[in-house]
Amino acid sequence: MTVLLAGGAMTPFNRRKDGSSLRDWCRTAFARALSDAALEPQDIDTVVFASESDFFTLQLNPAAVITDALALTGVRTLRVEGGGASGHLAVQTGAALVLSGLARRVAVIGAEASAAHLDAGKVGKLYSLSFDAWTDGLTGVGATSIYALSVLDFMGRTGATTDDLAGIAARNRQNARHNPNAHLPLDITAADVAASPVVSSPYRRLDCSPLSDGAACVILARPEDLPRSGVGRVRIAGMGAASDRVRLGDRPAPGQFPAKTKAALQAYQAAGIGPEKIELAEVYDSYSGAQLQGLQALGLAEDVVASERAGRFTGEGGLPVNLSGGLLGQGAPVGATGVAQILVAAQQIEATFPGLRPASPPRRALVDTHGGIATTCAVMILESLA
Amino acid sequence: MNFHLSLDYRVPTGCLEPFFEGLRNGVALAERCEACGRVQFPPGGVCGTCGGASLGWVTLAGTGTVILRTDTPDRTFALVRFDGAANAALVEIANPAVQTGPGMLMPPPEGPPRLFFALTDPAETPHA
Ligand SMILES: [Zn+2]
Repeated sequence: MTVLLAGGAMTPFNRRKDGSSLRDWCRTAFARALSDAALEPQDIDTVVFASESDFFTLQLNPAAVITDALALTGVRTLRVEGGGASGHLAVQTGAALVLSGLARRVAVIGAEASAAHLDAGKVGKLYSLSFDAWTDGLTGVGATSIYALSVLDFMGRTGATTDDLAGIAARNRQNARHNPNAHLPLDITAADVAASPVVSSPYRRLDCSPLSDGAACVILARPEDLPRSGVGRVRIAGMGAASDRVRLGDRPAPGQFPAKTKAALQAYQAAGIGPEKIELAEVYDSYSGAQLQGLQALGLAEDVVASERAGRFTGEGGLPVNLSGGLLGQGAPVGATGVAQILVAAQQIEATFPGLRPASPPRRALVDTHGGIATTCAVMILESLA
Repeated sequence: MNFHLSLDYRVPTGCLEPFFEGLRNGVALAERCEACGRVQFPPGGVCGTCGGASLGWVTLAGTGTVILRTDTPDRTFALVRFDGAANAALVEIANPAVQTGPGMLMPPPEGPPRLFFALTDPAETPHA
């Protein structure tokens, strides 16, 4: 059975200063996604909402409230949470509901207010509870330090350097300059990254993805439940999800992301392809080095450092990565992040992405998202229906 | 609109309470798996090798060695392998002026029990 991404939309990702609310962002994303899918609100029978933390949204049971705000009544509504992977896992959940026959047309809406509601220090403190709050958390360690320790191990094993990381941080911001929805469309170079203040060595300010506000929505359905049988849309060819030990210290190799490898293998197997068939990827670059760690775990390069240095992951390269800007450039309103990653990858296949695009549209794209530090991993392969 | 929320949590630590009690006193209390013998510090309630849930407590010397270290503008964190443990612990470093090497678990100066580690350096007096 085939599940299609029948349509989708996102709000700009940024730090909202216009007084608009999370409910407004969800309404906007939902209305535009419906329009993109040529559907009416009454066509939707299920809403899957994704957000990471009620401390950010200040709304418990948010799925019910957002569904109500969308003027939908009598539909199945639920919320999916998986840390940074919340949005991606919500799309997988929506697809599973369609595949099971329980739902016909699902609206998956991800949203987060990680910038406008609280000051950055408080958000950072809450994010530090994304790891083991009892051991790692009580030391006061923040997410950046945990990612820093992981990437140091990766650098030691692979020879990746801070120059490699800075190059990624700069490139993703340059990619974002073409993306009208991007939070950080910055005209910067690797030298600017290297000159930004240290947050947790080796990571500097510009190696870190931003705290963003925003929402994204995709509509899922089988071809027979869509106008014109969904011709021209993108199908979900494969999905995978897997977990890892939560604490870095409990992992044999703290710089490697084996759960991501497992999730990717499931997705490749379901799609009936190997990684060499992937023509474009949106990879979870919460930090610059995580992009390289992710690409390695996903099996998308024999030697990820050599490929990075050879330009393979640029817009003109053999495997364009994060042409949206990724989390570093497009931004990261957590619940919306994975939904937006999937949306922009589908738009690349449809050749409708409103930013940087490869010379010819990819036939297949991979989307990679995780929560914690590659603790809750989710991978999806999208394919053109043609 | 503004909304103020202030929360004071009481967090029972369940089966890991002896570990936290040890940390308060700078004592490294580790779990030992009765099935496979794995010793883990910090503990987790389940064996990281065989998944066994029958675990006893053993006291380690509290000494260990830094594997990886990261510095923020005001604090330093490290992954430390404690002597006798199969896994590693994420700790705050008490004396970041010493770069790396061996050291010892110590009681945290204030706040809740946590993994606090002083590096050994004969040239320095570790500040408590
Ligand atoms: Zn065991």
